[in-house]
Amino acid sequence: MGISRTGSRAALTVALFVACVCVATQAGAQSGSVTGMVTTKAAGARPFRVTIDQRVCGTELPDEAIVAGAAGQLANAVVTLVGVKADAAAPNGMILNEKCRFAPRVQIVRPHAAITTSSTDPILHTTNAQIDGGKVLFNVAVPLPGIKIKKAVAAAGLVRLSCNTHPWMRGWMVVTDEATAITGADGRFTLSGVPPGSYELRVWHESLKGASQRITVVAGQPVSVHFDVK
Amino acid sequence: MIATFVFMAALAAQPQPTTIPEMWDAWCARCHAQDGSGKVIEPTIVVEPMDFTDCRVASPEPDADWELAINAGGPAVGLSAEMPGFGDSITAEQTRGFVAHMRGFCRETGWPHGNTNFPRPIFTEKAFPENEVVILPAVSHRSTLNDVNLVAVYERRFGKRSMWEVALPMASHATSGTARRQGIGDVEVAIKHVLLARADSPAILSAGFEVALPTGSAVRNLGRGTTMFEPYLAAGTVIGSTYLQAQAKVELPADRAKASRAFVYNLYAGRDLSGSPDTWTFGVELNGENNELAFTPQLRKGLTRTGALGAAVGVRIPIIGGREQGTRLVSYLLWEYLEPVRARR
Repeated sequence: MGISRTGSRAALTVALFVACVCVATQAGAQSGSVTGMVTTKAAGARPFRVTIDQRVCGTELPDEAIVAGAAGQLANAVVTLVGVKADAAAPNGMILNEKCRFAPRVQIVRPHAAITTSSTDPILHTTNAQIDGGKVLFNVAVPLPGIKIKKAVAAAGLVRLSCNTHPWMRGWMVVTDEATAITGADGRFTLSGVPPGSYELRVWHESLKGASQRITVVAGQPVSVHFDVK
Repeated sequence: MIATFVFMAALAAQPQPTTIPEMWDAWCARCHAQDGSGKVIEPTIVVEPMDFTDCRVASPEPDADWELAINAGGPAVGLSAEMPGFGDSITAEQTRGFVAHMRGFCRETGWPHGNTNFPRPIFTEKAFPENEVVILPAVSHRSTLNDVNLVAVYERRFGKRSMWEVALPMASHATSGTARRQGIGDVEVAIKHVLLARADSPAILSAGFEVALPTGSAVRNLGRGTTMFEPYLAAGTVIGSTYLQAQAKVELPADRAKASRAFVYNLYAGRDLSGSPDTWTFGVELNGENNELAFTPQLRKGLTRTGALGAAVGVRIPIIGGREQGTRLVSYLLWEYLEPVRARR
């Protein structure tokens, strides 16, 4: 007669479980990761004087065009794995006008993402978004703290944010569906879940330039990369 | 919605603007100056905004264009993207409040309001005074007649409510069996003056006086051979979204043996297809002279995003009489030469 009904169902469940675990570990075992650091010998500029809306912005603001640590660790650099689609959706773009700066200074958004701009400053800001080469995508007034205004970004590219009432304000949105990472204050970045293969790794920074590198990703082994930009 | 934001802002322990003048001073004055002149000590933008205190410049603007710029930003009216859109942050009532505040920067009375500045029909005289150059080509072709006409018109405002104008017609006729005749026609000089102009439920009435000088050869059928005196009234209004414009004119010859009196009347109805300054406008005219009547459907288009360049094309179809001339293709190309054609740099 063979195995009983409950017995055959239990066996099927176990078999499925084992199969799933095998597939999962195979997938994990089949991808690699890229970690690394971006450094520079360039020094950041001194804080600059603020003469507009000092009541909110203060009299001086740090110049964030180059944010580098004592050992040259460069923040806000974007590393892109060319031709590899990002495995997770990036959160929708959030632009915050805070104490007369854009926060975050650099962020990654997907094409067609929803962008929300808001403010904590009780003064008029404008969020002026221009894509590669200066074409204005939108320029929206943000006159009051607490307002949240939604816009969208369609195509991939580099979007520069500026403010028409506070000309020093600068922000960047890298609009892409490729695998990307931004360096933190420690200059470090990590890209995980990368299928094995040979790739071009590009680095972008708002003020500095660095050459692309070719890397080979091997399953289960992290590849370490160092970019020096100037 | 705006009340919530104001409340939240109050929690931030900073005094937030609550009235339109306070909002102007807190938000707009940064680029437009408190007095609306656009002259600020430390500009944060590259372009110099329109001077709202200059009545010559500000008064011909319709409220709808200012509302569009405030809500959607400069590019919506062909101007600089440095002007952001406020439509996500303010109500429609507040937008109208800002426009009313801006009208107050021009401190002189007597300037006709831009809400009465309606799109120019091909034949009906506009009641609103303009600074513009217009050329009006017209072509007719029948088996026995071929006609090309071109009128070049220069219009210039003076004072608050007046305009003078010079028109130079040129024509080229050919009828079968005779040689082609071409040359200038009767040059016209005219003045126009606004009698009444009302901004709300817009309406305008103007009076004008044209003198046509016998510069065109009557022998060659290019002119009437005598001076013509042509007083007229021109009016305009909006009903719903339809423009209505009308003109009634009397043509009085100096020498009644050379030309006869005429009564000329024109009626126009038209609608914009969108709210932008470069919109398409569809219109129809009835053009009458004594007991002849023609019908002219026409399309007008702003050629630049500010609307300072425009073109219209239509077909003048005789309904009663006027058969010798036949159906004509009529048009104009118009340039408001004091207006910005593109965003000011």
